[in-house]
Amino acid sequence: MLRQKSWLIVLASVLMLSLVLAGCGGSKKNSDPNQLTFMFRGGPDEQKAYNAVVEEFKKDNPGVTVKVIQTTGDQYATKLQAAITGNSIPDVFFYNPADLKAYVNSNILLDISKYIENNKEVDLKNMWADGVNFYRYDGKEVGKGALYGLPKDLGPFSLGYNKTMFEKAGIPLPDKNKPYTWDEFIKVNQELTKDTDGDGKLDQFGTGLNVQWALQAFVWSNGADWIDSTHTKVTIDEPKFIEALQFFADMQNKYKITPAIEQAQTLDTYQRWMRGELAFFPVGPWDLSTYDRELKFDYDLIPYPAGSTGKTATWIGSLGIGVSSKTANPELAAKLVTYLSASKEGQEALVKSGVQIPNLQDMAKTWAADTSTKPANKEEFIKIVTEYGRPLPGQYTYNAEWYDLFFTDVQPVIDGKMSAADYVKQEQPKMQKLLDRAVEQDEKSKK
Amino acid sequence: MKTKSNLYRKEKYFGYLFILPPVVGFLLFTLYPALYSVYGSFTDWNGLGQMNFIGLDNFKDILTDDFFYKSMFNTLFLMIGIPIGLVISLLLALGLNRKIPGTTTFRVIYYVPVISSLAAISILWQWAYNGDYGLVNQFLDLFGIKGPNWLANTATVKPALIIMTIWKGLGYSMLLYLAALQSVSRSYYEAAELDGASGFKMFRHITWPMVKPVTFFLVVTNIIGGSQIFTEINIMTPTGGPEFSSATIVFYIWQKAFDNLQMGYASAMAVILGLFIFIITLVQFKMNERSSFDVD
Repeated sequence: MLRQKSWLIVLASVLMLSLVLAGCGGSKKNSDPNQLTFMFRGGPDEQKAYNAVVEEFKKDNPGVTVKVIQTTGDQYATKLQAAITGNSIPDVFFYNPADLKAYVNSNILLDISKYIENNKEVDLKNMWADGVNFYRYDGKEVGKGALYGLPKDLGPFSLGYNKTMFEKAGIPLPDKNKPYTWDEFIKVNQELTKDTDGDGKLDQFGTGLNVQWALQAFVWSNGADWIDSTHTKVTIDEPKFIEALQFFADMQNKYKITPAIEQAQTLDTYQRWMRGELAFFPVGPWDLSTYDRELKFDYDLIPYPAGSTGKTATWIGSLGIGVSSKTANPELAAKLVTYLSASKEGQEALVKSGVQIPNLQDMAKTWAADTSTKPANKEEFIKIVTEYGRPLPGQYTYNAEWYDLFFTDVQPVIDGKMSAADYVKQEQPKMQKLLDRAVEQDEKSKK
Repeated sequence: MKTKSNLYRKEKYFGYLFILPPVVGFLLFTLYPALYSVYGSFTDWNGLGQMNFIGLDNFKDILTDDFFYKSMFNTLFLMIGIPIGLVISLLLALGLNRKIPGTTTFRVIYYVPVISSLAAISILWQWAYNGDYGLVNQFLDLFGIKGPNWLANTATVKPALIIMTIWKGLGYSMLLYLAALQSVSRSYYEAAELDGASGFKMFRHITWPMVKPVTFFLVVTNIIGGSQIFTEINIMTPTGGPEFSSATIVFYIWQKAFDNLQMGYASAMAVILGLFIFIITLVQFKMNERSSFDVD
């Protein structure tokens, strides 16, 4: 009697445990053909805009329900990874193009080529070729082959200048068609770095660039790069690279055109720019709505100053919208992707909220031609996308650890405590080691 | 067994039933993930799919990983705040244990940080430490001191974090000390007073030994908590601080696992951290055993 009962209890516990386990790990495939989950991230303005567009999508597709999961930018990666590990990947989700290889190799993303190509409402030719190519992968190289998503948007990282400050100082405005040389850039900055209220302290500066986001413009326009064309060798120890990095550090330490070291944190230079204390500062499309609201001066966009190649350069960021390989409704999921990324209705609503530039070329041209809204030279964004923008170096490789390391350790150079030459000598082997490991992992994950 | 009553037997089963949920919870959400990460630590798991057994490779790599040592050092460094926090909270508890007006208000004030969301507190302090507009520097300005940009400076970022964690933990330790102080029988003090013991002597020979179990408990839990400090770091210095100087071990583990697709390597570090905490705690228990005594 007693035996039997205790057996029952053990049995019941095991049953319960397995039930709970099944609930956690089991396939959460929903069989409802009209239901989707959509996970995305963004600031408050973006979240509002995307929710509104999803509502529109539901209206255009009667009977369809979309469950929206939204997070802030910094939580997103963790949450998505947890969803992937837990085998409950949302049907449609944002992802970083740098993760494309890993996600495809691990069979997380669905090849949506056929749904996109068969959809008559999508005109891929009208989308930015570079933007779409970020999400192509043929199993070896990113940039060609099947489509594993569409860009949520493209983020050309442009340079802005405080027009009001120039006019007040009586300095000729920068030419939007001809980038400054480095020497010219320093000269203009030095003229604008001054004490305007006569209290003996500098309160107006040339610029205050964050090394992590602005160094690329200097390195690339000087003909150097972090990585070689095969994406297997770290090339920061080349002379052209050293020259660019040293120049970047010298802006603060030698030419003294930026706020002092202690005040150089991004937050602060960003706020100084907003208060009109800086002549030059980077501008991305995501800044436009804030700048429109907050800036009390006139600003416009110009190309970054050009190094020895004479050609300006900067990076384009992007975020992709992909479909889960496990989705029960691939066609509907792909439809939501195109609605968000490539439809006229969706793009109009998103662009209007001032958080991105249009993904559609014809729409972008009209948008850029409208000089009545600030900045007048929106054309510069388009030029970056079509002519001179490049993806960040970490995007080519299995992970960006080797690239991130460069910026983790670089502060002593920026502070003038170490020369660029010494730094790259010490850092190149460390970065190479991490890159080797990334390449190795990439090979393994293909098997 | 046979002599036990029917009722007893039934009760026993109900007892098992009642403890079932926490046991299931432990198995499911603690033991299973822990064992899984031990297994993961021997693989090159990327957190997505691929999971190949690679033996001890991860552990070998950790031995030569500068950032592992650096983040471990940072973690230990931040623990400097633990003894400081305990001393302050004991002093506060001693103060608030007296019959002075407003003690309830003070207890509430000191306890508010404990119940506040850690994320909110971190953002608050991030602003307080801002070099240009931060409250801390504005306050220092009153005395003519030009404060640094606390979180952007290798020399100040750790002290800044220590001050914040002390502030945050004060209320909790104080409350436990207060409870311990109030349970000390008055008769000890009366007896000591009759014998002519000074205030300090009474503290040393009565109060301190009587609150020692609480001190022990706080030291153990604070060290465990301190080894796992993450949220503050992640919010206040999202890149691990200048030259990685505020990155803690859990921050580094998290970065490896979720930013760099190296869940296996991260698991290996987590296993090492787990062992580290286990050993430290064991040593503490042994030491406590040796020096503890009974009052009765």
